[in-house]
Amino acid sequence: MRLKNSKKTQQISSPSEQNGKKKPSQLLLNEGLEAGNNYFKKSLDQNKKIIKDIVGETSDLIEHELVLSSDPLIKGVVFSINGLVDKQQVGQFILKTLLDDKLKEKLVSSKSSLLQKIEKQILTVNEVTLETESDKTIHALLSGKSILFIDGIDQAFICATIGGEWRSVEEPTAEIAIRGPKDGFIESMSINISLIRRRIKSPKMKFEVIQLGKVSQTNVAITYMKGIANAKVVQEVRDRLNKIDVDEILSSASVEELIQDKAFTLFPTMLSTERPDVVANSLAEGRIAVIVDGTPFVLIAPVTFSQFFKSAEDYYQRPEISSLIRILRYIAFTLALLGPSLFIALLMFHQDLIPTTLVITLAAQREGIPFPAFIEAFIMEVTFEILREAGLRMPRAIGQAVSIVGALVIGQAAVEAGIVSAAMVIVVAGTAIASFTTPAYNLAVSARILRFGMMILAATMGLYGVTLGLIVLIAHLASLRSFGTPYLAPFAPFIPEDQKDGLFRFPLWSRKKKSILSNENNPLDTEKGLNATQPSETGDTK
Amino acid sequence: MEKIKITPFQFFTLIVLLQLGSAIVISPGVAAKQDAWLAILLGLSGGVVLFLIYSYLYHQFPELSLTEYLPKILGKHLGWFIGFLYSLYFLYIGTRVLRDFGDLLVTAIFPETPLFIISLLMVLTIVYVISLGFEVLSRTGEFYLLLLMFIGFVVNFLFLMSGEVELENFLPILGEGWMPVVSAAFPRVLTFPFGEMIVFTMILPYLNNRKAVLKVGLIGLVFSGALIIFATMMNIAVLGIDIVDRATFPLLSAISKIRIGEFLERLDALAVISLIVGMFFKIAIFIYAGVLGTSILFKVDKYQKLLMPICIIVLISSVSIAENISEHLREGLEIVPKYIHMPFQVYIPLLLLVITVIKNKVSGNQKDKSKN
Repeated sequence: MRLKNSKKTQQISSPSEQNGKKKPSQLLLNEGLEAGNNYFKKSLDQNKKIIKDIVGETSDLIEHELVLSSDPLIKGVVFSINGLVDKQQVGQFILKTLLDDKLKEKLVSSKSSLLQKIEKQILTVNEVTLETESDKTIHALLSGKSILFIDGIDQAFICATIGGEWRSVEEPTAEIAIRGPKDGFIESMSINISLIRRRIKSPKMKFEVIQLGKVSQTNVAITYMKGIANAKVVQEVRDRLNKIDVDEILSSASVEELIQDKAFTLFPTMLSTERPDVVANSLAEGRIAVIVDGTPFVLIAPVTFSQFFKSAEDYYQRPEISSLIRILRYIAFTLALLGPSLFIALLMFHQDLIPTTLVITLAAQREGIPFPAFIEAFIMEVTFEILREAGLRMPRAIGQAVSIVGALVIGQAAVEAGIVSAAMVIVVAGTAIASFTTPAYNLAVSARILRFGMMILAATMGLYGVTLGLIVLIAHLASLRSFGTPYLAPFAPFIPEDQKDGLFRFPLWSRKKKSILSNENNPLDTEKGLNATQPSETGDTK
Repeated sequence: MEKIKITPFQFFTLIVLLQLGSAIVISPGVAAKQDAWLAILLGLSGGVVLFLIYSYLYHQFPELSLTEYLPKILGKHLGWFIGFLYSLYFLYIGTRVLRDFGDLLVTAIFPETPLFIISLLMVLTIVYVISLGFEVLSRTGEFYLLLLMFIGFVVNFLFLMSGEVELENFLPILGEGWMPVVSAAFPRVLTFPFGEMIVFTMILPYLNNRKAVLKVGLIGLVFSGALIIFATMMNIAVLGIDIVDRATFPLLSAISKIRIGEFLERLDALAVISLIVGMFFKIAIFIYAGVLGTSILFKVDKYQKLLMPICIIVLISSVSIAENISEHLREGLEIVPKYIHMPFQVYIPLLLLVITVIKNKVSGNQKDKSKN
């Protein structure tokens, strides 16, 4: 597996530079293209043919032939891909400069070679690189750069003219903060990188770009703060990314799926966020971010369970309020997980544990209901899940119809018809609302799934079943690791210093030390989880 | 042995969970009537001495567990045999606790459910958690200790609020002299729960900080001793010694007395949940020690391979170990402490201590001689 590490990664330190020095891995590119690698010739026509043979029959290839000077005759051609290039830049900095009237004087006057003149004196485009091989050139072309060939020169001028249409930077839709910054990531990696860079102006911050996906050649950036992030974890992220062997990487979700620690778990071991401030904060804490071109969601690792209960808002409000709300979120998560199952357990097994007056009310409501509590709860839960899915997928305009059907038919009519009890509707609705409080959507989903398992346990063995289920659940969480970091830290293993940003959020001035994560000698024994993509036998991996 | 490390805090939580697991429910020391606290205190001091012995032995072989260093002290064959007996002993206690637990649940909440089903679910949970490794077990323990402490705090607070606490129940102190206290403490309270620290001789090598073993062990022992005294005395204060003495599980009877307003009542659920959790850890630690010991003795590379078969044996024997709950409790109170706990917790470790000290002396003398 280590062999593939030789795949070239390089550090870049600014978004514009990133566009210029790209070295696509040749091996992978050739698999995606049918023709082999060619070296450019001196003849313009041959070079044109090389490009056209490979990219050829596609309507978005723009070819612009130029005559730089008629005496001596110097011809050239500019290739670009429609929609990917910034046409204004191409026009102003390449075509205009090359077709300028004064060009001839420059070409004749200076003594240096034609190639150097064009590169150093004539082209006014921001960034120019020279390339002799066809596959790298094609990759640059398909990434949105313009390629210039001049007759008599066996090299291609690759001009960084990446442009095209992007969604503008907007407020994040999935993670909303009332007082925080309003910018969110978009689908362009270079813009995303700039959003992060604007927040941390430190030379320690590094972006390493690699291409993943044999066909899609997606740019993926590993981002970290050198000297703060644990070097071993950075290497582990690199290794795992390099092990990826698929055709397309179209979103960060597939990257997450391919590099997470354990394949079979309901719980997310990487955080995905569309907020640059969250990424900047995580980087400063010593975490590592993975940015995938084409996705507005950036992955962060290593993360712990508690991380999914922190919202960006927590750091923009007073610590007391944030702490209380955080505790509220844990309670809501527990409710979302256990609400119906506890209700079922009490109704079916432990009526004697319910206070007398309440048990009388409940019994009166359930009079005439044809199902046992479990079936009743199950029907309601499934109905709610269907409603939620319908609300999520349908066009916005008919949203109201679903909510009317949901509220009136499922809620009121079902109770009046005597199919479900009002108390059960309350419990299910409360559970549903509670499940929306978890800031991380992917964690809320795991609670939704586990809720059904807990309901079955409750229906078979009452509180005993639920308690055992919880033990298994906690043990499972304790066995997870996210890039070496135990998932339940800082609670188990208990780390006193990190309690300041765990269940509570202490005031910023009280946090003198950095999070334990960024400490090279941290007591979490993180190395054990590394180099083990499937740590199924947790104890024996070292 | 697994190649893992646990922190001193995890060690502490495991001690507390092991000690409180069943002791909180069964109230040790009530044979001394209202002087139970004195009996527990005596038992605790005995337990401290025992732990000093265990940790001395550990420091002789800090890399090895009990079954590994037994052959080094007693010779290859005898050591192996005693190690095997110890593994059986750990599994036997695990079996007994499992039965305690199953009986408790059947009596308290599930009168119509077969004991076997209840034990089966518990064993399945244990198999899953132990198969994940001891590190996972100790992290889970850390998490649950916080939860149990919270429940304990709430319950005790409610005891005080409920107005059921009557301190007169503690009187008279030493009404019948020291004899009943001493006879309650030795061997019963000494061996259950404090002598059960012997199980940690299998686990001590996992600790990442050797120096902390003695300190953390003693702190954990004293802390859980204090909690047991507090819980037992709370039961006596709420129920009176007569009921505590007669009740199979005094804690449950005591908690059901809590009634505050019209709403806060019937909190048995809290007690039962903490019981299930505490019992889970106690059984899991003993089964782990037994399985680990067996895998070391029979040179099985991964203890996980033995886990399922051994757990099936434990499950079946826990159901068939006694005809009914009273037979089980009588065995547990009268026969087991004297003839099983005492040899394994006290006599054999004492013997090992004496042999090690003599051996050290002899080899020390030899060294002196060779120097001369």
